[in-house]
Amino acid sequence: MTISIKGFDHGNRGAGIRNHQLILPTVVCSTHVSRRIATEVGAVTFAHQHGCGIIGDDVAGIDNFFVSLADHPNVASVLAVGLGCETIQSQELAAKLLSRNKSTQYRIIQESGGVEGTVAAGVKAAHELSEAFPSAPAAVVKLRVGLDFGREVSSAAALQQLLKDEGCDVVVAHSEASSAETFSKLSQENVHVIISFPSDSQPASGFPLIPVINVAGSGVLHMAIRGDFDIDESTLLTGIVELLTTVAAGSETVAEKSKSGEIRAPRVVRSA
Amino acid sequence: MTSPLKAYKRANGAWGLRNQVLILPMHSALSSTARAIADGSDGAVAISHDWSGEKDNDLARIIFTLSGYASNPNIFATIFLSIGNPEEEQIIKGAQALGLTRFTNLLLPEIGSMEKLQQEAITLANGYVKEAGAQERVDAPWSAIVLGLECGGSDALSGITANPALGVASDRLVELGASSVLGETTEILGAEHLLAARAIDPAVGKKIVEMVARYEDSINYEGIDIRGAQPSRGNIEGGLSTLEEKSLGAAKKAGNAPFTGTLEFGEIPKVAGLYFMDTPGHDIEQLAGFGAGHINVVVFTSGRGTPTGSAIMPTIKVSTNTPMYESIPDLIDLDAGTIADGIETLAQVGDRIFDEIVQVANGKLTKAERGGHHEFALSRMYKTVVK
Repeated sequence: MTISIKGFDHGNRGAGIRNHQLILPTVVCSTHVSRRIATEVGAVTFAHQHGCGIIGDDVAGIDNFFVSLADHPNVASVLAVGLGCETIQSQELAAKLLSRNKSTQYRIIQESGGVEGTVAAGVKAAHELSEAFPSAPAAVVKLRVGLDFGREVSSAAALQQLLKDEGCDVVVAHSEASSAETFSKLSQENVHVIISFPSDSQPASGFPLIPVINVAGSGVLHMAIRGDFDIDESTLLTGIVELLTTVAAGSETVAEKSKSGEIRAPRVVRSA
Repeated sequence: MTSPLKAYKRANGAWGLRNQVLILPMHSALSSTARAIADGSDGAVAISHDWSGEKDNDLARIIFTLSGYASNPNIFATIFLSIGNPEEEQIIKGAQALGLTRFTNLLLPEIGSMEKLQQEAITLANGYVKEAGAQERVDAPWSAIVLGLECGGSDALSGITANPALGVASDRLVELGASSVLGETTEILGAEHLLAARAIDPAVGKKIVEMVARYEDSINYEGIDIRGAQPSRGNIEGGLSTLEEKSLGAAKKAGNAPFTGTLEFGEIPKVAGLYFMDTPGHDIEQLAGFGAGHINVVVFTSGRGTPTGSAIMPTIKVSTNTPMYESIPDLIDLDAGTIADGIETLAQVGDRIFDEIVQVANGKLTKAERGGHHEFALSRMYKTVVK
């Protein structure tokens, strides 16, 4: 038996299990405007603190990180929103994205009449993108599953085998402390969905573009906030295939419902 | 000149120019909950951040920043959203030591889920907002103002119009007994000797020079020359040629008053005067440092324009040129471009900025406040990538 999913055709990014429109703030200064646009059109966005005051290898690193978010198979279209004077220039980033996918536009606050002007222009652009690039249904032939291990999980090997037997691609990552940067790394690996095992001292968390299935451990914190998790580690092997199948088919995880989780890009240099 | 100020007096003698109820998530996974609480409340404010309790080299800096921010005198009460980690206790104890008296720590594991946490916090926040609304402003001295000086998206006019005009206002306030704090170490690099020469004593001057050298070293350890990345792309398009040119203009925000002392990132000034605080050029990280340092009003000059503001500090935007002021009307409070056009003198615009600071201190909302701009970013000194 293999997991079979009806997803969305996202062109050269592959088939996705979500049909997200991403409002991508290219700098911390445009996160508020991006949120207003996203709220109005029902798109996804996220707060972050990157895009300016970055130096050295972080300039290319953060730029590539944004490109990888826009390239994710769960993304239908992208509206990049920039301020205008930042290190990462949204029109250049958008040009990069456009060369890969036509379903991209950008708006710049300093050139669009300020906040209200940019919100209005952004909402219009987001609607245009949705209309111009409707997603056709497509089969997700191979579900790519990211496993985020923030703690020792006795059934880890059995889980990987189970997922492979179900025909999934499995990408494994280990969190040092929180899952924030691990999720970012897994998103760059284009996983469709993440199964996360946060450490006993960490809460459940999410990632805006990717459904995250949080697995509760038996520690005090996880048991106290069991409602924030999707499944228990003790019943994982018997329940995960069914849960994964329903989530991949569109059922929202707890973290998706609560929109929990910020995006943190890996940084190699301090801020300037 | 008698102070026309009316402000909120705090138990430790500090003065608040606002009476905010702050929702402070102690973990990045609670940031979205914090925003939802603020959105669902009758006027509480929230910040978001990306710290998830990591105990890396920046831990002490992050704890210090959040303690200082949570206890800013512009805050009536802070609601902490906690996971139950010991570092969160440290943040709360730190905030109490810095003057926070009214707060509640909501523990996620005691409440049971983020959804229930949200409901409970909204009820609590609304109670605080009601109490805050009932508190009255009282007569306050000039020392109630602790002004932060910031610039972002500078252009060739920054050092000629908005920055020196802000310097006029800063000088007037310092003369009257208020405090004024210049930040952004990146943007005094190359001008530090001019600031050091204005120190009240040689030790303070030496400290200013040392802080800039320390900053450059902290960048150079990665083998990077900051001059390769500054001025930024937008600065160059705006007509600035070198970092030194940018710095000479940026330093003018601090007028001509003598420097009373230096402040570490997020450190609170102890006596009134003009200070230099070691903060990064990243506008939002630098605003977080000001908030942690108990600055209660900010003037932010810009050549290119920026929408950003703060959840707790009113942030007055001043444009360096009139075309920008006219093209993005909802971002900028005052235009200093009139100096370049010969319509007003530096002193006249300086007086306008001074008057605006007084009005905003007394409750007039800035455009960033009206727009709900509550950007926040933690400043880190070290890489986040674990290798």
